[in-house]
Amino acid sequence: MDAPKEVQPTGEFTCQLCNLTAPYTYYGQKPPYTRSIVLLEESYVMKDPFTPDKDKFLILGSHCSLCRRSVCVGTECSLFYSKRFCLPCVNENLKAFPLEIQEDMDKKKPQEKSSSKKTHTKA
Amino acid sequence: GTSGPGERPQDRRDRNRTEPEPERNRNGTGAGRRRLEQLYFHGQDPISSQDIPNFWKFFQRLRLFQSLRPDREAAPEPSQPPPGLILPPHYDPRYRINLSLPSPDVGCRDNGIPLECGWEFRWALLHYLHFQQRQSFSRLLRIQRERAALPIARYREQLLDAVAQHQVVLVAGDTGCGKSTQVPQFLLGAGYSHVACTQPRRIACISLAKRVALESLHQYGSQVGYQIRFESTRSPSTRLLFLTQGLLLRQAQRDPLLRGYHILLADEVHERQLHGDVLLGVLRRLLPHRPDLKLVLMSATINIPLFSAYFGDAPVLRVPGRSFPISVRMEGEPGKWERLDPMPYLRVMQAIDHKYPAEERGDLLVFLSGVAEIGAVLEAAQTYAACTQRWIVLPLHSTLSVEEQDKVFDVPPPGVRKCILSTNIAETSVTIDGVRFVLDSGKVKEMSYDPQDKLQRLQEFWISQASAEQRKGRAGRTGPGVCYRLYAKSDYEAFPPYPVPEIQRVALDALVLQLKSMGLGDPRTFPFLEPPPSSSLETAIGYLKEQGALDEAEQLTPIGTILAQLPVDVVVGKMLVLGALFGLAEPTLTVAAVLSVPSPFLRPTHPNPDWTTARKPLESPYGDPLTLLNVFNAWVQVKSERGGSSRKWCRRRGLEEHRLYEAANLRRQFQELLRDHQLLEDASEPSSSIRHRERRELHRLWRSHRECEGRKRKLLRLQDGLDTSSGEEEDGGSHRKGIDIQDVKFQLRHDVSELQASSSLVLASSQLALLQLVLCRGLYPQLALPDPFNGSRRDSEQVFHTRSKASVVPHPTSVFATNPELLHHKDLGCILHRHQLLAFVSLLETSKPYLVNCVRVPALQALLLFSQSLDTNADCSRLVADAWLEVSIPKAEEAVRLLSMALQLRSAWDQLLQQLLGKLERSPSQWDVAKLSRRLLEFLQEKVPYRLHQLTGLEKQNLYVGPQLVMASAPHLQGLFPGMEMIPDEVKGGHRITDFLTYNCLAMDTDLYNNCLRSFWTCPHCQLHMPFTPLERMCHESSCQPPPEEEATQSSSKASSLHRPYHCPICQQDFTFTPTEILRHKKQHH
Ligand SMILES: [Zn+2]
Ligand SMILES: [Zn+2]
Repeated sequence: MDAPKEVQPTGEFTCQLCNLTAPYTYYGQKPPYTRSIVLLEESYVMKDPFTPDKDKFLILGSHCSLCRRSVCVGTECSLFYSKRFCLPCVNENLKAFPLEIQEDMDKKKPQEKSSSKKTHTKA
Repeated sequence: GTSGPGERPQDRRDRNRTEPEPERNRNGTGAGRRRLEQLYFHGQDPISSQDIPNFWKFFQRLRLFQSLRPDREAAPEPSQPPPGLILPPHYDPRYRINLSLPSPDVGCRDNGIPLECGWEFRWALLHYLHFQQRQSFSRLLRIQRERAALPIARYREQLLDAVAQHQVVLVAGDTGCGKSTQVPQFLLGAGYSHVACTQPRRIACISLAKRVALESLHQYGSQVGYQIRFESTRSPSTRLLFLTQGLLLRQAQRDPLLRGYHILLADEVHERQLHGDVLLGVLRRLLPHRPDLKLVLMSATINIPLFSAYFGDAPVLRVPGRSFPISVRMEGEPGKWERLDPMPYLRVMQAIDHKYPAEERGDLLVFLSGVAEIGAVLEAAQTYAACTQRWIVLPLHSTLSVEEQDKVFDVPPPGVRKCILSTNIAETSVTIDGVRFVLDSGKVKEMSYDPQDKLQRLQEFWISQASAEQRKGRAGRTGPGVCYRLYAKSDYEAFPPYPVPEIQRVALDALVLQLKSMGLGDPRTFPFLEPPPSSSLETAIGYLKEQGALDEAEQLTPIGTILAQLPVDVVVGKMLVLGALFGLAEPTLTVAAVLSVPSPFLRPTHPNPDWTTARKPLESPYGDPLTLLNVFNAWVQVKSERGGSSRKWCRRRGLEEHRLYEAANLRRQFQELLRDHQLLEDASEPSSSIRHRERRELHRLWRSHRECEGRKRKLLRLQDGLDTSSGEEEDGGSHRKGIDIQDVKFQLRHDVSELQASSSLVLASSQLALLQLVLCRGLYPQLALPDPFNGSRRDSEQVFHTRSKASVVPHPTSVFATNPELLHHKDLGCILHRHQLLAFVSLLETSKPYLVNCVRVPALQALLLFSQSLDTNADCSRLVADAWLEVSIPKAEEAVRLLSMALQLRSAWDQLLQQLLGKLERSPSQWDVAKLSRRLLEFLQEKVPYRLHQLTGLEKQNLYVGPQLVMASAPHLQGLFPGMEMIPDEVKGGHRITDFLTYNCLAMDTDLYNNCLRSFWTCPHCQLHMPFTPLERMCHESSCQPPPEEEATQSSSKASSLHRPYHCPICQQDFTFTPTEILRHKKQHH
C-alpha cells in the first residue's frame, strides 16, 4: 500500500490559557490546503485530522490582538470578533464590545468556572 | 431588486422575509443550486462533494432560523474604545467568523446568479465552514481531555523511566486504564521508533491503529499502522505497528532476532492464548541475544507475579483501572447446572423495565456460552422486545461478519435499550460503551481437545472467577452499574481462580511444528510460561511423525518445513503438496482454503427451504470438500461477472460471504507458499495499463475508506434487532454509496482474472477421481466406515464408525447427511466391489460427535494405497488395514494382483513426491506423473468383489499368529514381491515386506472363508512334525526342498530344523543360521 503524502509538522501549538497542545503545519492567513478560503487572522493551522479530505484544515488558535498571548479557538479561551481576543482581555474590556457579545459572556460565566477548573487540573 | 454590495445583511433579511417565494425559487433547488455549486465548489474545495447535501440542509435550516429570529434594536455604540480595540461600528454575526471567501473569479455580472443570492449563499457557506471548524475543534478538545483523564496519563514519566532503565517492564492495569492506546503513544512521543505492539485479535489491531492515529491527530500520519494476516497498512515510514501475536511469531520464524523492531509491546498477555504464551517463550529466549531490544508486557492485574518472575523479576508498573461501583445480584440457585432456558434472561429484562425509567439510558450486555445459546435467547428476547418496543436485541459473536458485529456500537433511539447477547468476546476484546447492566450466565463454551481420538469437543464450563469479575466490570465503565449473575455465591466460590490457558487444552501439532521451524530444539525442554501436559506434547510429536512432518530424529522433513509455514491443519497442508504433484494445484488450493475457514454455510435455527433449494446445484455427490469447491468457484464467477452483487448471491444461498473472502485470502497465501517452494509455477504477470489504472482507483477507494476513521455510529431502529439472520438489504457503514469495500479489497488483493480462469475449470471425471484420492491421502487415517445396517435405517439415523470412535454421524451440513443414499448398497455386508469409506477433516463433538467435511472414497483402493499397516494371510485373500478393517477377497489370485498393483503404485507415488520435495536430485517428469495418474485411475476402476468388515475387540486380540516357528515362504512369493527383502516380523509373525506390509501374519481364524483346520503332517525333507493348514504345508514344502549344494538336513529337533549352513558372499564366512539370522546378518553389511 503506498503511503499518502504527508505534511511534516512545523511546530507545536500551545494555548497559554488551557494548555491544549497540538502540532501545527502552517501559520498564516492562506492555508495551503485550500484555494478558496482566506483567514482573517494569522492562525496556527493543521490538516483536519477527522476527515480524509486533503482540502480540509483545522484552525487551532492564534494570538490575542491585545495581549499577544497564543490562545486556542475554544470558546473557553478566546473569541473572534473581527479580531481575536483572549477571554481575559474581553472581560477586562467588556464594555467596549457590542451587547450581543456582552450577553454571551454573561451566559458563559457560570459554566466557565467549572470547565476552566477541569482544564487546569489536567496540566 | 438588486442590492449593492455595501448593503448590510440585516436589511436583506427583511426583504427575504417579505418575498419568500421568488427567493426560494432561485436558491431553493434545481438549476440555481447547480450553478452556485459550479461557481463555488472545485473538487473537494472548500467542501467535499459528499458534504454538499449536508451543506444544503444546513442552508435551509439557517434560513429558517434567521427568519424566526426577532430583529434586535440597534445597540448603542460602545463608549470610548480603548486604544488597540477598534471594533466595527455595528454588530453583525458575520464579524464572529474568522474565515472569508473571496468571490470566485468568474465574471460576477454574467454568472446568471442575482447578486443577493450569491451573497446569501456565500454567507451560508461561510457559516457552514465555521460550523465545521468548531465541530472539529471540539472533537480535538474532547480527545485531548479524554486522554488526559485516563488513569495511565499520570504514569507517563514513570513508564518512560522504567523502559529506559530495564529491558523488560510489566504494565499491569485494569480495563479502562488506557494502557493499550496510551503506552504506544508515550513511547512514540519519547522518540522510540520501530515499535511493535502485539494483540491477540485481529480486530484489535485495526481499531487500535485507527484510535492511536486519531488520538495523535495523525501527526505521525502513516507512521501508525497495523498488520494482520491478509491486510497491512505497514509502510517504510511505519514507526508503530499493531500486529497479531501469531503474525509476530511467523516473523520470528523468518528472522529469529526480530531485527526489524527496537521495542516490543506484548498486550493482553494475561489472556494466555496459545500464540501469546509461545511468543513470550520465544521472546524470553531472544532477549539475551538482543540486549538493545526492549520488551513491555501489558496485562490485566491478574497473576502478575507469574509474568514478572518469568522475565527475571521484571519491574511492575501498576495502574489502577477506572470503574464505577457495580452492585451484584446473584440470581441462581446454588449448585444448579441446567440446560439453557431463556426465561431467567427475560425476567432480568423485565426487571430492568420495571425498575428503571426508560429515559435513563443504559444498555444490557448478556454473556452466554455460545452461538447456539445466543440463538435460543435471541428468539425469546426478540419476541419480548417486539411486545414492549423497549429493546433492540443484537447478537455478538466472532462468527458474525464485521458489519454485523459493528451494529452493537450503534445507538438505540430514546427510550429504547440495546440488549447485546454475546459470547465471551465482549469480556475483553470488544468494548461497548453505554453498558449499564450485565447479565452473566456464568458459562463459557470452550473447545477441548482429546488427543486420543483427535477429537475436538465443544464443551460448556463454568467460567473462572477472573472472568466473572471481568464480565461484571463491563457494567461500570461509564457510570454505576448492575451485574446480574445467574449463579449462586457458592458456585462462584467454587469457580477456578483463572481460566485454563489455551496451551493446556488444545492440539499442539502446530506449536511443535513452529518451535521446530524456529530452531528452538526439543519442545519438551522449551521454557514455557507454564508447560503444556507432556502427554499432549508427545501426542503431537507422534502425530507429526506419523504424518511424515518429522523424521525419526524429530527433525523437520521437507514436507514438515512447508507445513510449518502454513497456518492450517497438517492434513490440509498435506493435500496441498499432494495436489501439486498431479497438476491439481488449482482445485486443491481452493479445497484446502475453504476447509481451513469456518464453514460458509449459515445454519439458522429454523431450516430455510429457499437456501436448501438454492444450494442444491452446488452440492457435490462426492463430498463436502467438493461442494465447498463448487461454492467457491461459483462465487468467484459471480464476483468477476457482477462484482458487488456477490453479496446478494450469498444471501440467497445462506452463505457467509466473509468466509469466502477469508478463503480467497488463504488460497492466495497457499499459492504463494507453493510457489516459494517451487511446487507451483510462477504466474504470468498480468499488468496491462488498464489493470494498473483500475488498481490505482481501487487503492484510492480503500485508502479513503480506511482513513474515514471507521464507521459513524448509526441510529438503530427497532426493527434492526429483528431478523438478523436473513441479512438486511442495506448494510453497515463500510458500504458507502453502494461501494462494497470487501469487494474493493478483494479486487485489490487478487488477480481476479487468474482466479476466475482457475475457478471456471471444469474437472474431468478422471481429475475428480484423482482429487478424491489426493484428499483421502491427505486425510488418512481419518476414515469412517458406514454401519452395515445403515441401509435399513432412517436417513436421520445413519451412523458411522471411526477406528477409535463408534457411532458418529455426518454433520448436518454434509451432503451425506442429506443424501445418505449416496453410500447405500442394499446388499451391504455381502461381497461386492463398491464398498465406500468416508474420509473426514475433523471430528467435532457438540451435542453428538460429528464428522465434519466428508469425502467418500472406494474402500479397498483407499486401504491398499494408504494404510500405515497392512497385514495379510498366506494367499493374501485376507487383508487387515491398520488393525481395524478386514478385507476378504474370495478370489486369492485377484487379491494378490491388487496388492501387487498397490505396492507398485505406492512406491512410484512416494518416489515422485520425494522428487517433488527436492529430496531427490531430479524433479518428477511429466511422463512419470502421467503414468502414475493413469495407473491410479486404472486401479480405481478395479471391480474385484470383496467383503469389508470392522474387526471386533475379540478378533483384534487374536489377529496375529505371533512369532512363527515355521519359516514358510509361499511358492508364489517371488512373483509377488520381486526384489523385496522379507524380514520375519518378531511381533506379528509372518514377514515384513515393506514398512507397512506384513505378509502372512494373520492368524487362521474362524473366518467363514478360511475355516480349514490344521492337521498333523510330517515333512518328508526335514522330518518336521506339526499341525499345518494346507497352505502352510504348501509353503513349507516349497521352502524345504533341499537346495543343490545343501547338505542333508539333520535331526528332527524343532530348533535345529530351522538352522542351515550359510555362506556369506560378502564377508566370505560360514555360519549355521536360521533364516532370520541370515537376514539379520545380511543387514549388517548394508
Ligand atoms: Zn485554550
Ligand atoms: Zn489577551
